Amino acid sequence: MSYAFPDALVSTNWVKENLKSPAVRIVEVDVDTKQYGAGHVPGAVAFNWNTQLQDQINRDIISKDDFEKLLSSAGIKPTDTIVLYGDNNNWFAAYGFWLFKYYGHADVRLMNGGRSKWLAEDDKPLTADVVAFAKSDYKITAINADLRAKVPQVLEAIATRNSNLIDVRSTDEFTGKIIAPPGMTETAQRAGHVPGAKSVPWAQTVNQDGTFKSVDDLRALYKTAGLIEGKPTIAYCRIGERSSHTWFVLKYLLGVQDCKNYDGSWTEYGNLIGAPIERS
Amino acid sequence: MSANLSTRVFDSVFEMLPNEANPSPLVRINTLHPLAAEIAAGTSTFELFAKLEWMNPFGSVKDRAASYLIRELEAKGAIWPDKADKKGRGIVEPTSGNTGISLAAMASVKGVHMRAIVPEKVPEEKKVMLRIAGADVDVLTDAMCPSPGMGEGALGMARSYAKAQGDRYVMPNQYENHANVQAHIDTTGPEIWRQTGGKITHFFTSLGTCGTVTGVATFLKAKNKNIKIIAVQPSAGHDVPGIRNKDELHVTKLFDASLIDEIIEVPFEKAYTSALGLCQREGLFAGPSSGLIFEGARMVLQRDKPAQGLGVAIFCDNVFKYISSMTKHLPALAGEP
Ligand SMILES: Cc1ncc(COP(=O)(O)O)c(C=O)c1O
Repeated sequence: MSYAFPDALVSTNWVKENLKSPAVRIVEVDVDTKQYGAGHVPGAVAFNWNTQLQDQINRDIISKDDFEKLLSSAGIKPTDTIVLYGDNNNWFAAYGFWLFKYYGHADVRLMNGGRSKWLAEDDKPLTADVVAFAKSDYKITAINADLRAKVPQVLEAIATRNSNLIDVRSTDEFTGKIIAPPGMTETAQRAGHVPGAKSVPWAQTVNQDGTFKSVDDLRALYKTAGLIEGKPTIAYCRIGERSSHTWFVLKYLLGVQDCKNYDGSWTEYGNLIGAPIERS
Repeated sequence: MSANLSTRVFDSVFEMLPNEANPSPLVRINTLHPLAAEIAAGTSTFELFAKLEWMNPFGSVKDRAASYLIRELEAKGAIWPDKADKKGRGIVEPTSGNTGISLAAMASVKGVHMRAIVPEKVPEEKKVMLRIAGADVDVLTDAMCPSPGMGEGALGMARSYAKAQGDRYVMPNQYENHANVQAHIDTTGPEIWRQTGGKITHFFTSLGTCGTVTGVATFLKAKNKNIKIIAVQPSAGHDVPGIRNKDELHVTKLFDASLIDEIIEVPFEKAYTSALGLCQREGLFAGPSSGLIFEGARMVLQRDKPAQGLGVAIFCDNVFKYISSMTKHLPALAGEP
């Protein structure tokens, strides 16, 4: 069996072969934004998840206007093939992938294994040179709002049990032993998980080298966790980046049709007055 | 003129680097001797010494590895200062601090630039010391949700510099480079052998890059295979800079389990109380990893109660760089009620 949308995932070799293709644009999104400066895939641009992919005043994803500006300044065109990669197993690269899809970009792909796999392979070039691309005039024509879950959909899922809820945080966060991993500044008032959510920590979807597990392994993983096939599915974590990673797995590797990322995640839900919480 | 070791007059700081003729001191443990009761009762004559590595010119055991790493790079012509017709090529290295401080100090004197990649949890004092020694410092954002197999961190970033900017940077890589081990085969081992008159029976150290344990054990076991090599490791999830729990050892290629007789685990908080005890009861201003090693030595000796023998414990560096760590783990030191 192959992945549901095999084109959404490209190998490091594919990226190497396409380094010179003008219609392929490579975008690095890191947890640690200093990584790009040390060296990156030739021709890649970097987007900062914190200062460029989020609204800087409201707590929200980057606005449509700002995303258009960002892509225009990077010279990206709606017809380009976008390849995302990053550190930490592509966490924020997957978040970037989700944003590109949310704002209707047609051809988006994730580089399997991310930054560490590229770095580990001797034949893959790395550079500190930053290419200046001629500006473009990017216009967003359609928003795929159904890729995003907000609080009402989460509360509806709890009330009606019409959706699978997947919590991709660590077991200690899920059970409510801790609110957030030690040292994190983004946290919540309460610990626990959304009632009815199944725990499938994101790391269970990847191999030691950071590449995704096979479709059979992934299917078995979610089946064992109690995910019901054919139902709409909502993934969440703490701030929405690890859940983007799982959202990618569910939607593009396993083909779950109605799959949403709840980017507000625990830092929103765990602060809501009156929202039901489960602990165990 | 060359170094006069009796008057301790040196031509340059490099002459102060330790070797058999100019060893770091061994100091006897008195008040806190783990077998004090047995010695008083006449049932043991065991002697225990601390080897004060902070007496090295740049303040830690890592002066040994760093000087060998730099020497090797120079011999290969792999590093050079900025020249009129050619930009300089310097060093990039992942480090918890001490190796970086030594490398930066020596590189700076030679006009060679140095970039240190340090994890976020390294104490602030070490980050500042690195800058004082002349290094450019990149502080990593620690993984938000660490998981097995990720481990890019400092090593990945240093590798990125060396790969993307190879004309500007070379990575000696203390985690893989045999020069790190060789330094201890050539210096620490022979020093201890000579300083103890070959009487050493127990060697206590920690596991970081494992240069110390592998190098010293290689030398001592060749002299006398019965010498016990004991490595002390902190409990999992520890906060003791510079050293590793066995679950973190995959990062280093210098670990050789066949040379080690015992790995003893110590609850990591003990590193701090033990260091404080050494400061206050022995007058030895030991840092946390020395505290941990001493606690491991105490546990082994009180368990086995050897009737005779001689132990040497490595005291890797002193406490001055760990004021923030000490006050974090021993809040009373901050002087607040
Ligand atoms: C404070 C401290 N203690 C102990 C060690 C461990 O020494 P080694 O790297 O030789 O295992 C180090 C080295 O990184 C260190 O900085």
